[in-house]
Amino acid sequence: MSGGSARSLAKGSAPPGPVPQGLIRVYSMRFCPFAQRTLLVLKAKGIGHEIVNINLKNKPEWFFTKNPFGLVPVLENSQGQLIYESAITCEYLDEAYPGKKLLPDDPYEKACQKMVFELFSKVLTNKKTTFFGGNSLSMIDYLIWPWFERLEVLELNECVDHTPKLKLWMAAMREDPAVSSLLIEAKAFRGFLDLYLQNSPEACDYGL
Amino acid sequence: MEDATRTFGKGSCPPGPVPEGLIRVYSMRFCPFAHRTRLVLRAKGIRHEVININLRNKPEWYYTKHPSGQIPVLENSKCQLIYESVIACEYLDDAYPGRKLYPYDPYERARQKMLLELFYKVPHLTKECLVAIRCGRECADLKLALRQEFCNLEEILGYQNTVFFGGDCISMIDYLFWPWFERLDVYGIADCLNHTPALRLWTAAMKQDPTVCALLIDRSIFLGFLNLYFQNNPDAFDYGLTC
Repeated sequence: MSGGSARSLAKGSAPPGPVPQGLIRVYSMRFCPFAQRTLLVLKAKGIGHEIVNINLKNKPEWFFTKNPFGLVPVLENSQGQLIYESAITCEYLDEAYPGKKLLPDDPYEKACQKMVFELFSKVLTNKKTTFFGGNSLSMIDYLIWPWFERLEVLELNECVDHTPKLKLWMAAMREDPAVSSLLIEAKAFRGFLDLYLQNSPEACDYGL
Repeated sequence: MEDATRTFGKGSCPPGPVPEGLIRVYSMRFCPFAHRTRLVLRAKGIRHEVININLRNKPEWYYTKHPSGQIPVLENSKCQLIYESVIACEYLDDAYPGRKLYPYDPYERARQKMLLELFYKVPHLTKECLVAIRCGRECADLKLALRQEFCNLEEILGYQNTVFFGGDCISMIDYLFWPWFERLDVYGIADCLNHTPALRLWTAAMKQDPTVCALLIDRSIFLGFLNLYFQNNPDAFDYGLTC
């Protein structure tokens, strides 16, 4: 089931109440690749969370009090603290929650992942290891994955034909439990995209 | 000043490996991005050497340090290279002991990174204003846009009711912002702070900081550099050096 199955909240909706203790809330949208990064990390680290989907074509007024930029993803915890910008939310979750660290402890290795994040497309052709961070899956792979998942859904995967290493990476990613549990169903995504391109406020709830 | 050395240009010999116990920063005395890294090196008391690069006449060997020849770049004695000014600053904070410039609390760290997002238009706008003024062009629109960005930062200081962006003490986010504010005067756009009193108080407080002070660039030297730079003189980058 991708990204929470609740209908999105739109203009005129009541703001959700405070976040219960022991949970963290993510404001999301089922088809947004940036929000998917945060969902991947929440899943991968086994963090108890609730999802509030936002209608990005018809945003609730209260949503701007969560993020002045009005974008998803946004994290809200039970102390009312708000974190936005997908990469910042992912790093916050890695630091604030126990369990497997997705970012390396070594300062240089961590800096390398951040440089890779910045130089995404250039590194593609130079990468010698199976995953972007080394020989096992880590933060940088989750940050990049959403776009490649969509390539396939949109049948644009000829783009990766010239890069067999990338194809191998995509196959390896599909084996990951966090990735496979959030895979977007092709028909649903295409349905969403059709409505989205027509500026329909129903787009975000397609398939519910 | 530690970085008062002549630049390396085309045809220069590559510097040798970085000695143990030191970290090297490839820099340029007037570059605001490199300035961030030099502030952090100084604030944390990290032993370092500076190699200045002639940005209009880059050494061929420099592209082995950065794929497109940008500064700043850090190089340590293990030959590890770190680039992008913000990544370099965070690396230094993580890798070296002593005073931590980023907060320990994950939420406070995230807040500083979110604040940085609010700043992203400032470097481009200040540069555009400088270029417009130096080329004798109108820049009222650019200055208006810059004032708007400053208003956003002013709001943050007002909401927080703190002197610095991270609280009552100077921290990483203040050092990451500072280089562009230091340059407002020599760029000729100091009046963009006219309607932002909290931001003016912040710049005054920053000028009291020992690290900021130690690295403050002499106004007449900066103006000399700018004059030569805008005449496309490759000697601009060494202006004011006595050796």
